[in-house]
Amino acid sequence: MAPLLKVDDLATYFYTQGGVVKAVDGISYEVARGETIALMGESGCGKTISALSILRLLPASQVKIVAGQVLFDGVDLLKASKKEMRKVRGGNISMIFQEPMTSLNPVLTIGRQISEVLELHQNMKRRETVQEVIRLLNLVGIPQAERRMRDYPHHFSGGMRQRVMIAIAISCRPKLIIADEPTTAVDVTIQAQLLELLRGITRELNTSLILITHNLGIVARYAQRIYVMYAGRIVEHGPAQDVYRYPGHPYTAGLLASVPRLDEPRKTRLTPVEGQPPDPLYPPPGCPFQPRCTYGVPQCQRSKGDFVEVTSGHYSSCCLAQNGVTPWEKT
Amino acid sequence: MAVVASTSQPHHTLWGDAFIRLRRNRLAIAGGIVILLIGLGAIFVPLISPYGYAKQDLDAILQGPSWGHPLGTDALGRDVLTRLFYGARISLAVGLFAQAIVLAIGLPVGAFSAWVGGRVDNIIMRLVDVMYAFPDILLIILLRAILGGTIYMMFLAIGLVAWVNVARLSRGQILSLKQQDFVTAARAMGASGHYITLRHLLPNSLGPIIVAVTFNVPRAIFAEAALSYIGIGINPPTPSWGNMIRDGYDVIFAAPYLMIFPAIAIGILMLAFTFLGDGLRDALDPRLRR
Amino acid sequence: MLKYIIKRILWIIPVLLAVAFITFSLMHLVPGGPWDRDKQLAPQVVENLNHKYGLDKPFVVQFKDFLWNTVHGNLGVSYSYQDRGVTNILLEGLPKTATLGIIAFILAILIGIPLGMVAALKQNSAVDYASVLFSTIFASIPGFVLGILLMIVFSVELHWLPTGGWGGIKQIIMPAFALAAMSAAYIARITRASMLEVMHQDYIRTARAKGLSERVILFRHALRNALIPVTTVAGPELAFLVSGSFIIENLFSIPGIGRLFVQGIFARDYGLVMGAILFYALAVALVNLIVDTLYAVVDPRIRYE
Repeated sequence: MAPLLKVDDLATYFYTQGGVVKAVDGISYEVARGETIALMGESGCGKTISALSILRLLPASQVKIVAGQVLFDGVDLLKASKKEMRKVRGGNISMIFQEPMTSLNPVLTIGRQISEVLELHQNMKRRETVQEVIRLLNLVGIPQAERRMRDYPHHFSGGMRQRVMIAIAISCRPKLIIADEPTTAVDVTIQAQLLELLRGITRELNTSLILITHNLGIVARYAQRIYVMYAGRIVEHGPAQDVYRYPGHPYTAGLLASVPRLDEPRKTRLTPVEGQPPDPLYPPPGCPFQPRCTYGVPQCQRSKGDFVEVTSGHYSSCCLAQNGVTPWEKT
Repeated sequence: MAVVASTSQPHHTLWGDAFIRLRRNRLAIAGGIVILLIGLGAIFVPLISPYGYAKQDLDAILQGPSWGHPLGTDALGRDVLTRLFYGARISLAVGLFAQAIVLAIGLPVGAFSAWVGGRVDNIIMRLVDVMYAFPDILLIILLRAILGGTIYMMFLAIGLVAWVNVARLSRGQILSLKQQDFVTAARAMGASGHYITLRHLLPNSLGPIIVAVTFNVPRAIFAEAALSYIGIGINPPTPSWGNMIRDGYDVIFAAPYLMIFPAIAIGILMLAFTFLGDGLRDALDPRLRR
Repeated sequence: MLKYIIKRILWIIPVLLAVAFITFSLMHLVPGGPWDRDKQLAPQVVENLNHKYGLDKPFVVQFKDFLWNTVHGNLGVSYSYQDRGVTNILLEGLPKTATLGIIAFILAILIGIPLGMVAALKQNSAVDYASVLFSTIFASIPGFVLGILLMIVFSVELHWLPTGGWGGIKQIIMPAFALAAMSAAYIARITRASMLEVMHQDYIRTARAKGLSERVILFRHALRNALIPVTTVAGPELAFLVSGSFIIENLFSIPGIGRLFVQGIFARDYGLVMGAILFYALAVALVNLIVDTLYAVVDPRIRYE
C-alpha cells in the first residue's frame, strides 16, 4: 500500500553571507497511514527544517527548497499552489511546535485559536464551533473546558499550552501530524502525559505521526520506525526495535552508548559521542560523521551515503556496514 | 573601561567595538560632519566674515542672495549668512551646554536614588513624576521669565527641565546593575558603595545615557529657537535663529527667505544630531555585539 | 481593572497640586508684577490694585485662596483682560487648541500606522526605504520649521492658503500637518519596528501552519500585537501635540490657549498663566490615563495587575 507521505531526496539550503548551508541535503523518508515514525538527531541536524519544508513554512527569504519531492497522498506538495498548501495546512497535515510558551497568540483566547481552524477547514460558523472546542479541550485533558476556552494563553502552564496545541492540531482530523520536539520544553512528568495523549489520539483516529526528537527514550516507546539524521542527511533507518538492538551506524551506536543504563555499575563514566557536528558551511567530504567516527577507514571520505540493508527493512549508510562489518557494540 | 574576553575572537573593548560600528553608519557620519562644519563655522565666523552680526547697512536692506551677501540681507541691512553662523553659536552652545547641567543634576540624582533605594527613592521618583506632568516647554518659559535672557540663563532654564530624562535612565541602569553578580563580587572583596558606583556601575551605564544626551541636544536647540521665536529667548540684537525667524515673519511677503534660511538651519542641525544619536544608539547596543 | 483606573485618577490630584504649587511659586519669582506697563503707574495706584486683587496677602494665603477658587471652577481673574475671568478666557481658547491637537493626532495616526505597516510588510523594498527615510527626517524636524516652510510655499508663493487665523479647513490644514508630521514619523517608525518583530514571532508561524490566509494572519493575529507598543507611545504623543501646539498657534495666529499663555507670561498675568499651565497638566494627565486604559484593553496580559 502506498505510503501516506513520501519525502524523496529533499534538499533545503540556507543562503547566508558566509556561504551556502545545506541544512537538509537529500533526505528521503516515508510514513504509512496510521504509523508513527521518529526523526531523530542532535540539535542542528536539520530535522526541524525538513518538517517545515514539508509544509513550506520556511522562515525567511534566504532559505530555499532546492530539490526533491514531497508526495502526500500522491500529490507533490512542493509543486502545489499557495492556495492548495493553505488547504493542506491544518486540514490534512498539522504541526505541533516545540515552544508552547511562544507558539500561541497572547492576545487571542485559546477558544478562538482553536475555533478559527474549525471555521477555516470544516466550514463551521463561529457559533457552531463552541461545542466542538469544548469537546476537543476535554479530549486533551483540560478541565473546566467551558470556562477556560475564554482564557488567554498566559493563564496556562507550558504543559497545558501544549495540550491546547495538540487540540488545535487534531481539530480537523488531519491525516498526518508533525510533532516537532513537542515535549522538550516541558517537565519530565508532563512529557509522559503528553506523549500518552498523542499516542491515544493517533491510535483512535488512525492518524500518522512524525515525531521529531533527540530523546532516545521517547523514540523507543512511541515510534514504530525511526530515521536517524546527522548533518542534514539520514544515516540509518528501520524498525525502532531493530535499530536499537543492532545499530547499523556508528553514530546511532554512539548515541545509544551514551545513555546511562540502570543495569550498569553506578560509577561507570558516561561515554558521550566525542567531537562536534561539522561546521555547516564547510562539510567534510564523503560521510559527514567521519571526522568524529572511531571506526573510520579511508573509504569513508569517498562514501556517497548509499544505503545497504543491514537486517530486514533496516538500512544504514555506513560504508563499513556495507561491507558487512559492524565493529561497534551491539546493545 | 569594560573589557570582555571571548574565546575565539580578537580582544575588543566595548568602546572600540562601538566606534567601529559607528564609523560604518553613513548617516551618523554625515551628521557628525555637518555638526563639525557648522561648529567650525560658528567659531571662526568673526575671522571669516567681513560683516559683524549687528552691522547695519540701511542702503542695502532686504536684498536677496547675491555675491556680496550669499544669503541676502535683512530689514536692517545686516548680512544673513553671518547672522546665521552667529546664531549657530547660540544654538550649539545652548544645545551642548544645557546638557552639562542635565548631566550634573540628572546623573547623581538618579544614581543616588537607585543606590539608596527605599523611601528616599520613592520620594525622588514622585518628584520626577511631577516634573513629567509639566509640559516641558511651558516650564522652560516660566524659568526663563524668572532667570532672564542671557545665554547662561538659557542653559540653566533648559537644563533644569531636561534632567529628569537622564535621572530616570541613570536610576534604571544602576538598579539593574545593582543586582548583578559582579557587584556582589566586588562587595565580597570589601568595596564600599561609593567605590562600586563609580568604578563599576557608571562605566556600564554610560551607553544609553550618552545616547539620551545626544538626543536631548536637538530638543534643547529647538527649545531655544522656540523661545526666541516667541520673543522670550535670547535678547536681541544677539542673533538666534529663533529671533531671526521672528524678524523674518514681519516681512514674510517681501522677503520670505529671511524666514526660510534660519528655519532650514534649525532643521539641519537637529537632523544631524538625530542621525548621530541613532548611530550611537545602534553602535552601543550591547545586544548587537558579535 | 476598575481599581487600576481609580487609583490612577486619584493619583492625578496630588500631582496637579504639586504642579500648581510649583507654578504658583515660580510665577511669584518672575521679576516685575502684573501692573508693569510701558508707563509706570504711580506707586499708590499699584498698591491699591494689589490690595484689590489680594496680591498683598501672604504667599500661602494666596495659594490657599487660589486652590479654593479653582476647586469651585473659578480660576480667578485675568490681570490683563480685566473684564473676563480666566476660566472664561481659557474656555474660549480651548476649542481651538483641542481641535488642532485632535486633528493633528488623527492625521498622525492615519499616516503613521499604515505607513509603518506597509514598510514592515514589504521590508527592504523601495517603499520601505522611502518610508524609513521619511520617518527619520520628519521625526527630527520640529513642526514649527515645517510650518514655516509650508507657509512660505503655500501662502507666500502659491497664495493657495492664508497665513493664519481660524475659521475653516483652509486655516487649519497647514498647522495641523505641521503639528502632525513629527508624530506621524515617529509612529510610523514604531509601527514598522513592532510589525517586523511580530511577524517573526512563533505564533505567526503557528497561524500559518493552520492554513490561514496572509490577510487573516495580518489582521487577526499580527495587528493587535503590533499596535501594543504604538498604544504606549500614543499617550505621550497626544500629550505632546496638545501642549506643543502653542508654538504652531503662534506661527499661524490661531487664537488658542497657547497664544494666551504666551501673552500672559509677558504681561505677568498670574491668573492666566496659572490657568493655562494647569489646563495643560490636566490634559496631559487625562490623556495618559486614557491611553493606559486603552493599553489594558488591547493587551490582555496586563489586565490583572
